[in-house]
Amino acid sequence: MMAALIEISRLDYVYLDGTPALFDVNVTIGEQEFIAFIGQNGSGKTTFSKCLNGLLRPTNGSVTVDGIDTRSKGVIKQLVTKVGYVFQNPDHQLFNDSVEREIAYGPRNIGLPESEVKARVQEAAAVAGVGPDHFATHPFFLTKGLRQRVAIASILALKPRTIIVDEPTTGQDMPQSIEVMNFLQRLWKEEGHTIIIITHEMSIVARYAQRVIALGQGRVLLDGPTREVFSRPDILKQTFVEPPQITRLGQALNPPLPRDVLTVEEMQIAFKGALKQH
Amino acid sequence: MTIAVAIKDLEWKYENTTQFALRKVNLEISENTFLGIVGANEQGKTTLVSCIKGLIPHSFNGVYRGSVEVFGQAVKETSGLHLAREVGLVFADPEAQFTAMTVEEELVFGLENVGYDINKIRERLEWAAEVTQIGNLLDKSPYDISGGQKQRVAIACVLAMDPRIVIMDEPTSMIDPLGKQFIFDILRKLKEEGNRTIIVVEHNIEQLAPLSDQLALIHEGQIVKVAPPDEFFADPQSLIAQGVYPPEVAIFAGWLHSQGYLPDASPIPRDLAEAVAAAQTALKMGSG
Repeated sequence: MMAALIEISRLDYVYLDGTPALFDVNVTIGEQEFIAFIGQNGSGKTTFSKCLNGLLRPTNGSVTVDGIDTRSKGVIKQLVTKVGYVFQNPDHQLFNDSVEREIAYGPRNIGLPESEVKARVQEAAAVAGVGPDHFATHPFFLTKGLRQRVAIASILALKPRTIIVDEPTTGQDMPQSIEVMNFLQRLWKEEGHTIIIITHEMSIVARYAQRVIALGQGRVLLDGPTREVFSRPDILKQTFVEPPQITRLGQALNPPLPRDVLTVEEMQIAFKGALKQH
Repeated sequence: MTIAVAIKDLEWKYENTTQFALRKVNLEISENTFLGIVGANEQGKTTLVSCIKGLIPHSFNGVYRGSVEVFGQAVKETSGLHLAREVGLVFADPEAQFTAMTVEEELVFGLENVGYDINKIRERLEWAAEVTQIGNLLDKSPYDISGGQKQRVAIACVLAMDPRIVIMDEPTSMIDPLGKQFIFDILRKLKEEGNRTIIVVEHNIEQLAPLSDQLALIHEGQIVKVAPPDEFFADPQSLIAQGVYPPEVAIFAGWLHSQGYLPDASPIPRDLAEAVAAAQTALKMGSG
């Protein structure tokens, strides 16, 4: 078992206006995981993810990040260096007038010395693929893909072990989606971050996520390896999620085809296997 | 068959840009058919539908060559009001078109503008609200409803005007899966009614393909392919190279063909049901 980064225990969350959003959530998030949160809008995905870095504090139960209880006083500055949150729309997050100041904002805000701030900006920009030639540019003059990278770089500069990305591919075409997902995959595999994506795109989940947490009406419906979660279409239906189309093809023709293929390539292998058995 | 839209050698360059956004575009859309338009971002999809709606050249400056005709009338020479009745356009961002305090006022606004009488307005309002299932939202503010509901209101506003051509530009790109399903249900109903030409720009090919009579691929300002879905998906690798991913079952069926597990003449499936039938055939052929 990998070391736990975030422990969520018996978490309930009720918004100030009395709207209940999460019920009895128990989840452990470990080192270097790639997790997808899925479920219809209103299922609690976003509320849950905001509980992971102290943006929201539990109504009941607890969230412990690297040993710090998010309900403790004065821990926000510590939490932002442990769990980063990239908003769905980078424009909701970018507010400085140059790319460099944008990326430097977080490290400066937690009071790092200026020499360290500079080093962090260089490193984060390099990892995110934001070239120094963009540093003086106003973020709004960049393409959407680059603005998203700047948003991610500004989070990376705080060196959080866990990075949550809200709908990284919404509104993007396939080449753009693949680009951002390959980038997140690199942060996971090579830089060792735990990556959490919140998404509605199941073919993306099938290709990139190792673990899936399906939420519905504020509860965890399923939590397990991607393959196992997608082989339960009956439960996913409760939160209006369908497995990828190729997975559903296998499920419609099971047997001889398997119920848990995730990609077209896997289906090709499974198909040949089914022929051999005849 | 009547031609709803005829585009001949259309070229368009926005003011202050160096490259043409559309280059030598030729396309005919038959009346009461469903055309799906696909392609990567920034290839000219929105520009093309703007030319059919007449936003180009009437609301943009630039260089315009060639012609677009809507039911035989050149868009370039036609007034905005006339085009408003013939062609309705829904954008990805529905808020871009809201101006009123309630959903009902929003719907009535356009109808009053073209001078319909009260009975006609009521009739159009009821029909549009029914098709888009927004009857329960009529007294709400259009800003106070969910993203998916906003998009349905935006569609209702356009449908209320009873345009002969309905264009939707990425109508589902900003909304959640349940909301998306509502939009595709509306498109299905409109197609079944069969008395309207429908043009939809959409990244979600899996849902778009089963509805489309024809699919068109735009790449670098040109229409590089127009075909019925089964033909359109026949060469998945070339589509992927142009930034468009066919439905997973179409890619798989393409592989079955390439391996000789399907008869040469059998069409590429457009949806899951067709794919199930194709895979059953392939399992029989492969083990026979």
